[in-house]
Amino acid sequence: MDVTTTLETGYGAWSPLVWLAAFAVTMVIALLIRSTGESRYKKDSNQTKPFISGNEAPQDAYHIRAGNLYWGYLEALKGYYQKLVPLHTGIMTDYVLWMFGVVAIMLLIGLSI
Amino acid sequence: MGNVLLILFGTLAVAAFGIITGLVFLGVDRILVARMQARIGPPWQQPFFDFFKLMSKENVIPRNSIPWLFNLAPLLALASSIVLLLYLPIGSFPALLAAHGDLILIVYLLIVPALAMVVGGFASSSPYATIGAQREMVTMISYELPLATIAVAYAWKLGQAGVAHPFALSSITANPIWGLVGPVGLAGAVLLLLVLIVVTPGELSRIPFDTPEAETELAGGLLVEYSGRNFALFYLALGVKSIVMAALVVALFFPWNVSDFIALPTVAARIADLAFWLLKIEVVIFFAASLIRISLARLRINHVVSLYWKYLGAVGFLALALLMIDGMIA
Repeated sequence: MDVTTTLETGYGAWSPLVWLAAFAVTMVIALLIRSTGESRYKKDSNQTKPFISGNEAPQDAYHIRAGNLYWGYLEALKGYYQKLVPLHTGIMTDYVLWMFGVVAIMLLIGLSI
Repeated sequence: MGNVLLILFGTLAVAAFGIITGLVFLGVDRILVARMQARIGPPWQQPFFDFFKLMSKENVIPRNSIPWLFNLAPLLALASSIVLLLYLPIGSFPALLAAHGDLILIVYLLIVPALAMVVGGFASSSPYATIGAQREMVTMISYELPLATIAVAYAWKLGQAGVAHPFALSSITANPIWGLVGPVGLAGAVLLLLVLIVVTPGELSRIPFDTPEAETELAGGLLVEYSGRNFALFYLALGVKSIVMAALVVALFFPWNVSDFIALPTVAARIADLAFWLLKIEVVIFFAASLIRISLARLRINHVVSLYWKYLGAVGFLALALLMIDGMIA
């Protein structure tokens, strides 16, 4: 398929090149707006220190572990994960059993429709 | 060549329109919120004053940050917000890129400005900004499910009604859902509208879904290290994205124009339709942003996930089921 044409699925349309062209124009607009602003600041002064409510913090305290990333998500769906995590035993035969079980259920649903 | 020039000049016009109306509506939002709190509030031009003031301030780049990513994020946020507006109809003007993208694309492109803020937060190398960026990512994942149910439910209904290209915004605006459904489907459509109204403040990181910024807790969160022109660009992006979200609600649920009901000369019809569209945008922003943020307090991040993923997700699926039942009854 010609990449320059818009993909028509019969349900909708999508053209990555047109999006890219429009995005390039809007990036130029954003850059032009940015270029009219003040660019200077006092390098190597206290104003470049990360803001931690005025507290001094050691270098390693600036970093938050990525392990916290999904805390809110895991906390909200705690009940689901508490049941799901123990099922991941790491034993190959368990996973194969799960696969057979799911395929059997899908077959039953498929045959009943 | 003609198409290239149309996209070029059309994009410039839509960008100017989006930025100016975005700032005006931010000003109107501040006045309305102030009046509801028995305050006079700032003048409607205040966001313009704020923008020019920010542009004249120092643009500090934190010493531990990744400078090129830190500077790129606000550009990405503004540019991707403006691009979204190109896929949405404005008044009776069809979307500039209507033939090149559909509702599914809009749902996906809505992630880009939020992702730009996440990138900026992580690039700041500040603990507050990192926590803010982490929360923004979780919020993003949360509202995707209800948003997707709206797109699927809408396209399913249009497809079932025999409308060609059911995901295309032009098909959606030409066939308002209210005229395609019976009483059961009407309840489903109202629920879909409710879901989109609640997703809107989440998309805009406004109260009660402002956990990524949370001024009183994270001192501004992912924006804590931003100042000067970089912060000004994020401010413009917020204004444009407010228009985008309201324009999406209008296109999906209130696509009517004045010229559909009153015969007017072409130019007068365009102006009347644009004025009516701006009024609809303001009404949507009032109910989806101003009224909600004045009525509620900030939610905790796990409550945001619960609300979007469990409750609104369930409401979205219920709305889809009601539309399907309506289709079977009809």
